[in-house]
Amino acid sequence: MAERIVTLCFLLGSSIYLFGAQQLTFGTIDSPKSGFLPNLAGLAGIVLAIVLLIVNRQCLSKPVKQDMVDWTKFIFVIIGLIVYITVLNIIGYLAAAFIFLLYLFKVADTGGWLVPVAMAGSCSVIFYLVFGYYLAVTLP
Amino acid sequence: MEILDLLLQGLSVSLVPANLMACTIGVIIGTLVGVLPGIDTISTIALLLPFSYTMGSTAALIMFAGIYYGSKYGGSTTSILLNVPGEAASVVTCLDGYPMAQRGRAGAALSVSAIGSFIASTIGVIGLTLFAPPLAQAALAFGPPEYFALALVGIIILTNLTGTSTLKSMMMVSTGIMLGTVGLDSLSGISRLTMGVPELDRGFELSILAMGIFGIGEILTVMTKPTTPPTLPSIKLRDLYPTKEEWRRSVPPMFRGGVIGFLVGLLPGPAATISSFASYAMEKRLSKNPAEFGQGAIEGVAGPEAANNSAVSATMIPLLSLGLPFSGATAILLSGFMIHGITPGPALITEQPGMFWGLIASMYIGNILLLIINLPLIGVFVQMLKTPLNILMPLIALLTLTGAYSINNSMSDLVLIVICGIIGFFLRRTGFEPGPLLIGVILGPSLEQGLVRGLIICDGDIWAMITRPISSLLLTIGALVILYNLTSWLIKSNKRRREGSC
Repeated sequence: MAERIVTLCFLLGSSIYLFGAQQLTFGTIDSPKSGFLPNLAGLAGIVLAIVLLIVNRQCLSKPVKQDMVDWTKFIFVIIGLIVYITVLNIIGYLAAAFIFLLYLFKVADTGGWLVPVAMAGSCSVIFYLVFGYYLAVTLP
Repeated sequence: MEILDLLLQGLSVSLVPANLMACTIGVIIGTLVGVLPGIDTISTIALLLPFSYTMGSTAALIMFAGIYYGSKYGGSTTSILLNVPGEAASVVTCLDGYPMAQRGRAGAALSVSAIGSFIASTIGVIGLTLFAPPLAQAALAFGPPEYFALALVGIIILTNLTGTSTLKSMMMVSTGIMLGTVGLDSLSGISRLTMGVPELDRGFELSILAMGIFGIGEILTVMTKPTTPPTLPSIKLRDLYPTKEEWRRSVPPMFRGGVIGFLVGLLPGPAATISSFASYAMEKRLSKNPAEFGQGAIEGVAGPEAANNSAVSATMIPLLSLGLPFSGATAILLSGFMIHGITPGPALITEQPGMFWGLIASMYIGNILLLIINLPLIGVFVQMLKTPLNILMPLIALLTLTGAYSINNSMSDLVLIVICGIIGFFLRRTGFEPGPLLIGVILGPSLEQGLVRGLIICDGDIWAMITRPISSLLLTIGALVILYNLTSWLIKSNKRRREGSC
């Protein structure tokens, strides 16, 4: 089922891409323009996605072995990533990195509070020094 | 003689302190990558791309190459000690390495693996030294039609890159080509398919795509997988000495594995993995006691470990001389080159011989360093295995995000990296390996330039384009590969349909 949904996403993406490619000049065979390859690639994407859907439907492909996934953790990690990006410019790199690390340590079942807080604090400072000073990156 | 002079020149480049340091850091990181399950070569190189901006181009390339071949040394450690392969290429090492560890011969297995890796890698680098320059010289005669044929054949062959479904790989490659066309068209200067988003004018940055799909994707995969902490044996230095009998049985497989690995490494696809299995099969066939295989036969460690290391050196030949990545790891290595403004291929050898020969010379040095690092420090690497993933993964996540931000100081890159990470996670779960996507992004522009310029040169006569001697040879190879894939797929799907498994 998941495989089919992903293939449908490919079909949708390729269709949107081909629609965009149609707006570009295709040119002629002896004078190809900027839309030449995009049109061909979009078309190939659509054809491949349709073939894949047919193959999945007719059970011609090998079923994929899937590992166990803790979906709660998955959602929490995604939330952490989104929150980090959202607050980075507001509270600055050091604070955002500390909160992000502490949050992920707890999501990843790191026991207690002292070790995660100490690790998050020291690592965020180290990262800040490495990127901000050594690599001279302008951090928020 | 000329090659020896050039190699000596390269040695003077690679022995510059900054380059030697880069080589040392690269091989140490590579070994760690191989040792620690859950972190792979592709993700690591992708994560370290931002760090390389502060380095010189030669030093950066030497470091990335060191990570690449160094990872194959470390891959055997977890295979032997835990029965968990640190790398796909070390899967077969589990078969006899782990039984040896259970018999108390883990030290001998580890040292035979390291020495075999060194011997075979050196065989591979000698091959690289001898074959890469003439191949690049031949490629100097290439025009746009030949480059189009080369890129097309590369893409066709690389659909077998992951060993998973060819159709899915083709889907991923075509998606990669589509992504590669977004942004300013290098031929006409027109902004293409950006949907009015100004950030997309520069296209999808390869490093951001790689860090997202491989880095964040890997973090999500590892963090959401239930894990149990490993129990590890302690390895002392005196345990590392193989017996005379073990030596006698290990040396021939090391050399045979080296040759097999080198030959397989010249073919596109997961060469290191394929060559290790091929070597194992060969050793089993040649053995006087094939029944010992699977019970702790040292040939089953020496041969495959030698083969996968030699294959890694051989995959550098098409990369350096033609600019063609024959595996996911070499694709990311190529992106590392391109980020530093270096395009591997014939021009690299003629225009930047110092860099090219410096890189090759560094591989000789790197292999010696790996031997020195791997034998006495094996105990340290075993201790590294105790690093809990719940500590390691959050740190890698922050490193990835900070690294991605540092490339362009752009928040939109962070958004893109997270989206790519989620996509990468679901792609892996549904059997769409992300490696071919990267190949598409990298080879797509070469394919387009070759096709468009070739058609203009030949006045739109496709037949004239594909019947040029080199083009026709390359395209014939491509056609044969398609025919082979199609036939084997039809046979397999018919078999599955008869069995009624779905």
